[in-house]
Amino acid sequence: MSTRFIKYVEGDSTVHKLDPRAKLTFLFFLVSSLTVSYHIFLVIPLLLISLLFYFLAKLPWNKTKGTWKFILTIILVLSLLNYLTIVLLYSKGPLTEVLTSPDALRRALTPVLKLLALAVATVTVVFTTPPNLYAPALGQMGFPYKAAYIIQLALRYIPEFIAEMNKTLEAQMARGFRPRGGRNPLAKLFSIIPLVVPVTISATLSIYDIADSMELRGFGEESCHTWYRELKLTGKDKFLVIASYFLGAVYITLFILNLISSPS
Amino acid sequence: MLNGDVMSERKLFSATTLVAMGIGTALYAAFNVFFNILQIPGTQLVAVRPSVSIPMFFGYIFGPVVGFVSGFLGNVISDAISWGGFWWNWDVGNGLLGLIPGLASYLISKEDIFKKKGYITCILLVVISSIVGMGFAAYTDYIFGYGISTIEEATYALFLPAAVTDAINGAIITPILVAAYASAAKGRARRV
Repeated sequence: MSTRFIKYVEGDSTVHKLDPRAKLTFLFFLVSSLTVSYHIFLVIPLLLISLLFYFLAKLPWNKTKGTWKFILTIILVLSLLNYLTIVLLYSKGPLTEVLTSPDALRRALTPVLKLLALAVATVTVVFTTPPNLYAPALGQMGFPYKAAYIIQLALRYIPEFIAEMNKTLEAQMARGFRPRGGRNPLAKLFSIIPLVVPVTISATLSIYDIADSMELRGFGEESCHTWYRELKLTGKDKFLVIASYFLGAVYITLFILNLISSPS
Repeated sequence: MLNGDVMSERKLFSATTLVAMGIGTALYAAFNVFFNILQIPGTQLVAVRPSVSIPMFFGYIFGPVVGFVSGFLGNVISDAISWGGFWWNWDVGNGLLGLIPGLASYLISKEDIFKKKGYITCILLVVISSIVGMGFAAYTDYIFGYGISTIEEATYALFLPAAVTDAINGAIITPILVAAYASAAKGRARRV
């Protein structure tokens, strides 16, 4: 099943129980607010909101530690890289003063905190939303059902294509192809490269058969479409949606006011 | 000449284009999950991905919208599988990798898409798409301040490694995919 590929962790926390439409609305306004944040003091509240959202999800450490290792490595590398490039390329004066300058620290930290807030929010949404609810959520948010159906179709076929890759590799090996490297993981990755062309071509040729069978079942004939999983907004969902709109409105207003007061 | 309803003649949301978007997305995501591991040392999460040729190929064959959706959604899903989150501007950048080769349908006639002129156009568009797509992703990271704070970092740690590897992978593999598809589809009814 496609669901085992996406990093979804089952649970019964407040965030797990939220309607996916409310979570997607929250994510949209959080990303918009981060995008227009021009000062570290505007980024810190958004980071705190993202962290609150993450901790409310009560995700088990053993299921998320791989993701955290990845995020923290990026954050550490980027912080150092930002700090060094700002200090070495842009700052003037004695090195000891430049290294401890609050301006250099602020300029190095602000983008990294933005990235951290963005990562924490997207991770929480992905880890707490069952993949089979993305398409119904988008469909019931007013997206055309055909657009929402693309996501459903993609999630349905990912495991098929991973199985197809294995089948193609076995077929090539039956004809004498021997991937080199034994148990070396990098060599195993390189053995996937020769699969790009055959798997893509066979998948592309299957498009017409799938489209034919969908049309034969009447897909696209009706302009209206109902969803098997009907989603309902609870009080908490409505609160999150209103709070998200409010957050977005505040940050966009601050951004416009800043533009007006300092157009340079 | 290969028969069929090539690129611009298809409806934007016909069953065929919808399925092409879904299959393109699934293929790109399935390959990316493996290739996301091949990170280039010294860069910020830039991976060597021969799979970038998939949205480029889908864009070239099925049009710019199919190419964009395959690149955009494929990258969102593969990031969600690989590490659990996603970055919207890199997803749009990957969408552009598929959208720009799709412009071939407006530049050359449908008779030429599997001929020498078509292959040259395909390679040129693939290189342009790598520059535009990865340029968008890298410089929006700088403009919106996602993780980096200087234009030099955006250029040397993001744009150059991503654009160069994508352009090389795309320029080699995409014409091979187009040629293989032209041979495989030859003689099949209703296929491009």
